[in-house]
Amino acid sequence: MPLFKVENLTYYYPETEKAALRGINLEIEEGEFILVAGGSGSGKSSLARVLAGLIPDFYGGRIGGRVFFKGKDIRTMDRRKLAMEVGMVFQDPEKQMVQSYVEAEIAFGLENLGLDTEEMSRRIAEVISFMNLTSIREMFTANLSGGQQQKLALAAVLAMQPHVLILDEPTSQLDPVSAEEILNLVKRLNEEMGFTVIMIEQRLERCFHLADRVLFIERGEIVCDGKAQEKACEAIKMGLPFVPPVARFFADLNFPSVPITVKEGRKLLRSCLRGKKPTSKIQFGLCRNNVHVEDLREQNSVVSLKNVWFTYPGGQEVLKDASLDIKEGEFVAILGENGAGKSTLLKHMIGMLKPGRGKVHVLGKDISKNGYKEIRRLTAYLSQNPNDYLFQDTVEDELLFTLKNFALTDISVVDEMLEKFHLSRYRKTNPRDLSSGERQRVALASVLVTRPRLIILDEPTRGVDFRLKADLGKFLQKEAEKGSTVIVVTHDVEFAAEFAAKVAMMFSGRIVSDGEKHEVLGKSIFYSPQIGKMCMGICEGVLTFAEAQEIIFPLIEDKRTITLLRTGENA
Amino acid sequence: MFDKLFYQEKGLFLQSLHPATVLVYLNVLFVLSLLYQNPLYLLGLFFFLVLLIIEVDGMEAWSGFLKAGVSLMLIIMIINPLVIRAGATIIWHGPELPILGKLDISMEALYYGAVSSIRLLVIISIFCLYNLMINPDKVLNLFSKVAGKSVLMIALSTRMLPTMVRDLKRIKEVQQFRGVDFDEGSLWARVKKYSCLYNVLLLSSLEDSLEIAESMQARAFGSGKRSVYSRNILRPRDIICMVASFLALFAAIWGLQYGYGQYTFYPQADFLIKDRITLTTLSVVIFYLSAPIILSEGWKNCRFLKSKI
Repeated sequence: MPLFKVENLTYYYPETEKAALRGINLEIEEGEFILVAGGSGSGKSSLARVLAGLIPDFYGGRIGGRVFFKGKDIRTMDRRKLAMEVGMVFQDPEKQMVQSYVEAEIAFGLENLGLDTEEMSRRIAEVISFMNLTSIREMFTANLSGGQQQKLALAAVLAMQPHVLILDEPTSQLDPVSAEEILNLVKRLNEEMGFTVIMIEQRLERCFHLADRVLFIERGEIVCDGKAQEKACEAIKMGLPFVPPVARFFADLNFPSVPITVKEGRKLLRSCLRGKKPTSKIQFGLCRNNVHVEDLREQNSVVSLKNVWFTYPGGQEVLKDASLDIKEGEFVAILGENGAGKSTLLKHMIGMLKPGRGKVHVLGKDISKNGYKEIRRLTAYLSQNPNDYLFQDTVEDELLFTLKNFALTDISVVDEMLEKFHLSRYRKTNPRDLSSGERQRVALASVLVTRPRLIILDEPTRGVDFRLKADLGKFLQKEAEKGSTVIVVTHDVEFAAEFAAKVAMMFSGRIVSDGEKHEVLGKSIFYSPQIGKMCMGICEGVLTFAEAQEIIFPLIEDKRTITLLRTGENA
Repeated sequence: MFDKLFYQEKGLFLQSLHPATVLVYLNVLFVLSLLYQNPLYLLGLFFFLVLLIIEVDGMEAWSGFLKAGVSLMLIIMIINPLVIRAGATIIWHGPELPILGKLDISMEALYYGAVSSIRLLVIISIFCLYNLMINPDKVLNLFSKVAGKSVLMIALSTRMLPTMVRDLKRIKEVQQFRGVDFDEGSLWARVKKYSCLYNVLLLSSLEDSLEIAESMQARAFGSGKRSVYSRNILRPRDIICMVASFLALFAAIWGLQYGYGQYTFYPQADFLIKDRITLTTLSVVIFYLSAPIILSEGWKNCRFLKSKI
């Protein structure tokens, strides 16, 4: 008997005419690790919530079809019993904390189950040691880092000892190192403790290889379901972008079975390129996106930080002698772990913080003295949370609000922006009624109406799907080509490698590496995109899928090579 | 900046006491600060509290509390002699004022104002000590059994507050970059600008509250009767401190019955020390109240005592 059995499930959120889930049929066996992929608003989270019993109990709405857990209709099950069997971890760790202290947060679910103190103490002790949370057990939850908070959220669910763990984009808010830690924990839970894991993720390069089975969801329907390796090729043929770059690379070469890990990819690539020398990186890497480093040297400096030091009032030294020079028309990504000082650096660039020592010049103004007012008319700043921008009654009003504040009278730019961001049909819609991707576009449009020369974005790809990420990246590239300077602070190495021209890496308040993206990411082991990791030492300088296509495809597409390989595989 | 004013886990003996013990102890101190009239007794309590604050490594926090209290102290010291006419020893004859009448300043009124200020200092120090000694979450946990839902609501609010302060700062930055000047314009214009700011915060907080509610539901909140997880441990040190607190209270009440600790300010100020028992009673009360300090020093310096309490 399957653990979950979903029969012809259809679901509509309250007051909507469009089904969030349509005709879903699905069986999940005990102990499986299932990865659910799909675009924003495709129905992934809705499916997770149905399996966790939150739909329709918590959300309301109309539901059709049936969902069985261990043979019982999930809607007839006691909520407490279901919570003891199925645990769910959500996307934003901060928005699932209830208690103010770590130990109390872990105990919260156990108290809800009505367990006695002895049982609670045992479970809490167990989960704290398993998750290695002893050092933070007395800490205030608001003071924890994002990674620690997500670990705590997972611990709070694990303490309830469920058999099924549902994770809704658990790593989207985390830096690569913290994300890796969470994913390793989840893998251990599945492999060593037999948990059934259902995980929704956007950053597939991190977790595609962990799953026994992948489900691709589009417009509320399951369009592809099967083993990760087998379904990667099928998904690409169907035009779905939700496949990690390594798999996409080999699937495009019509390999019958594609690798899904860097290790497998490197092995296959080595065997394909045996005896063949790829062209030098000089011929391709430095000139992508029509930006030459030599050209940039001639251009005006838009952002210039010279020996900037900054210490917060509490005594924490966050910037240590940071220097950075960004020219007009550059697209720069700033990478680094949480707490490296990226956001503090960004706040110096927009004049919200004044350096203790050093100089900050932006658009020719010394903002270390005069602050943000001198540059804001020509600077667009998009914070991590698009919701910070949305409070007007309509999308159009959001854009007009910025124009009015700067006393700009040319309102034709509103139409232009709405058109550019595909928001024209939402002109009169309340921005809070839109999806997360659409909200981000409204926020971006609301800061770009002033036609800024400098665009600064803080973590713009958090929780954003492949397609929207690509749209955003291409848009920012175009703006850079038109002469605007773009600065993006991000954890998303794939995004930085694909779209930025320059990369600066921060560590412990210092800029440890700064230069053309191939120079910086090509040398890095941990901050390198998946294609870069695959090509490292085999074909130096290749970072992106497009570059791999340009350099490696002609060498591998030799049909004899592929035939030989296939023969070898069959043998 | 304000972090120092609130509880910080430092692994100190006085922070390891059971929250009920700390509550009993601080309440005894509070009651005594209200009952005692004698300036000597209040000064005794004040200096004793300074010792306690040193013991919890809280001088920095205490100075912050005092800064807030000094202005109140000055107000009391100035207003009292101006409005009280009961004193017999007039030290300055002032003019006739429309509402206050004749402005005669008496020494007793000045004295009473100064003593009231000491009382205020003592009360402020007790609150400071509360913040330094006791984890607020443990106090909430103590009351979970009797007022579970209220405690949960307070815990949620406590958790949300730093998040909302941070969000507000970020939203303000965003608005400033969209051309809003919060320090320009008329009062009404600025109120309107700030109302937009709070509007964004309110909308986002409402959306966030739904996510928290969903997380609570996913963890079986509201699925039946809840139990309470108590993390507080009762040790011998708690029993000793609680007994000592009650003994201090009984000794103080006994003394007050016989007038030790009482004081008359008007029309003429009483003697500060009536007889030897005045000092003996104060010493006995302070001795009993010293139990946590004695144990704390023993805990730091005597391994045997540390293992027993």
